Amino acid sequence: MMTDHAEGPIGVGVRGTLARWNLESQRIRSPILRYALSVVSVAIGLGLALTLQYYEFRDVELPVLSLSIALTTWYAGIGPSVLAIMLAMACFNYFFVEPIYTFYVSASDLPYFFVFIVWALIVAWFSASGRRIENGLRQARDHLQLELEQRKQREDEIRKLNQELARQAADLEASNKELESFAYSVSHDLRAPLRHVVGFSELLQRHASSVLDDKSCRYMQTILESAKRMGNLIDDLLGFSRIGRAETKKTAVNLDQLVREVVAELGQETNGRDIAWKIGALPACYGDRSMLKVVLVNLVSNAVKFTRMRKPAKIEIGCAERKENQVEVFVRDNGAGFDMQYVNKLFGVFQRLHRSEDFEGTGIGLATAQRIIHRHGGQMRAEGAVDQGASFYFSLPKAQDVAERTANTL
Amino acid sequence: MSELARILLVEDDPRDVELTLTALGEYNLANEVEVTRDGEKALDYLYCRGEFSTRSHDNPAVMLLDLKLPKIDGLEVLQQIRSDERLKLIPVVVLTSSHEERDMIRSYQLGVNAYVVKPVDFHEFVNAIKELGVFWAVINEPPPGSVKKAL
Repeated sequence: MMTDHAEGPIGVGVRGTLARWNLESQRIRSPILRYALSVVSVAIGLGLALTLQYYEFRDVELPVLSLSIALTTWYAGIGPSVLAIMLAMACFNYFFVEPIYTFYVSASDLPYFFVFIVWALIVAWFSASGRRIENGLRQARDHLQLELEQRKQREDEIRKLNQELARQAADLEASNKELESFAYSVSHDLRAPLRHVVGFSELLQRHASSVLDDKSCRYMQTILESAKRMGNLIDDLLGFSRIGRAETKKTAVNLDQLVREVVAELGQETNGRDIAWKIGALPACYGDRSMLKVVLVNLVSNAVKFTRMRKPAKIEIGCAERKENQVEVFVRDNGAGFDMQYVNKLFGVFQRLHRSEDFEGTGIGLATAQRIIHRHGGQMRAEGAVDQGASFYFSLPKAQDVAERTANTL
Repeated sequence: MSELARILLVEDDPRDVELTLTALGEYNLANEVEVTRDGEKALDYLYCRGEFSTRSHDNPAVMLLDLKLPKIDGLEVLQQIRSDERLKLIPVVVLTSSHEERDMIRSYQLGVNAYVVKPVDFHEFVNAIKELGVFWAVINEPPPGSVKKAL
């Protein structure tokens, strides 16, 4: 271990550099071929030098043999180049240095040998750098190729996902169209026979009322009422399905103003009633104004309807902020209320928790309201107890929150 | 009757025809109604073609048009009338079962004069038809070239 360290960083550095050059300049893989290249290139160099000398070209042997060394160093690495230097020196000494045809070495020959060695080192350095640059380029190219392939793969994936999405969108559109044509035909074709039932029953009643007994008159009345009720059910169902299909046009909505509007519009129903209204301050929210109005009309008219027997009826509309980015509005009454056991049925289509003799209605109002609130990304819930009133809550995104969000994304 | 018809009723359902005529009968307007049962017949009547080739060439004072009709539907009839120089002044009232918004928008785009959804309730229906008949056939002054009121 000590001896390894004793060689010092310089020794290791030189050796390491040489070793690296060696590896980097081995453009030929097989060792036999490398050494063979060394011998062959020196032999060719020698042949060329002797031929040139024969044709009276003087002092060309040094560059030609240097070329042979360079060739070997460039292609075969350090080992073969050392061999080439030795062979070249031997040949140079034997064929071209006085006294000719002997291996006698004089002090004046040493600079030539030095030139060979330095030349070999220079070439080895160039070869190594060249190789390094080549390697770098190759790596960069490979890297680029890989990246290209990956990108292509990702693009393929994106294209596939896009196609899938487009297909699903088309499916959705098709089923939406189907639903629309269904609703259209319901609205046209189901109402017509109903109108005939009502119309002709009415005509029959008019023509035959003198000959009909009380029971028959009552039957006629029931037919008429049922048909009218069915008409209302169809209209409500169509309205409900329209909510799901209609596009929402969302803006900032002043709930305060909307509630006052709704309460004023219910004036006909509240006329002559003893109702204590308590309307708290409501914030602005973000949504489709006409749809939110439907929600409020449903909730407030329910409150009015189910407090019919109270004197005074108390209806409170206010705001309970539950989360930072949402507003929660409630409509509370002291009316008939409901059993919390059936709270889940409250929002079902045509679900009613009261007898239709007591409170009229088709049972679609709350389903419609919930559907609208869901389309706004909000939640709806109810609390109540039998004969102790009911509270309905719905949450909506806050107006300024949405404004901020859109500002941030811009 | 066809010589005097001031109201052209285009309606495919015989029960609706009967109810409408009953309603109009209450104002003695029933015998001024020409009934055609599909869009093609309605256009034949207006152009005095086929079985109507012998009628006088005056336009009706009002046309009560159902939308869902066999062969040529109400909107197509309306489009045809509004693109014809001689017929385009005829007042047209769409009388339909449906509340569908797109039908209403399309009808108004095509220049309908009124859009009435037939009420399910018979009394409302009768009132609506009576008022329509009285307004368009009696009170309203029809455009030139229409059948004149029988004095």
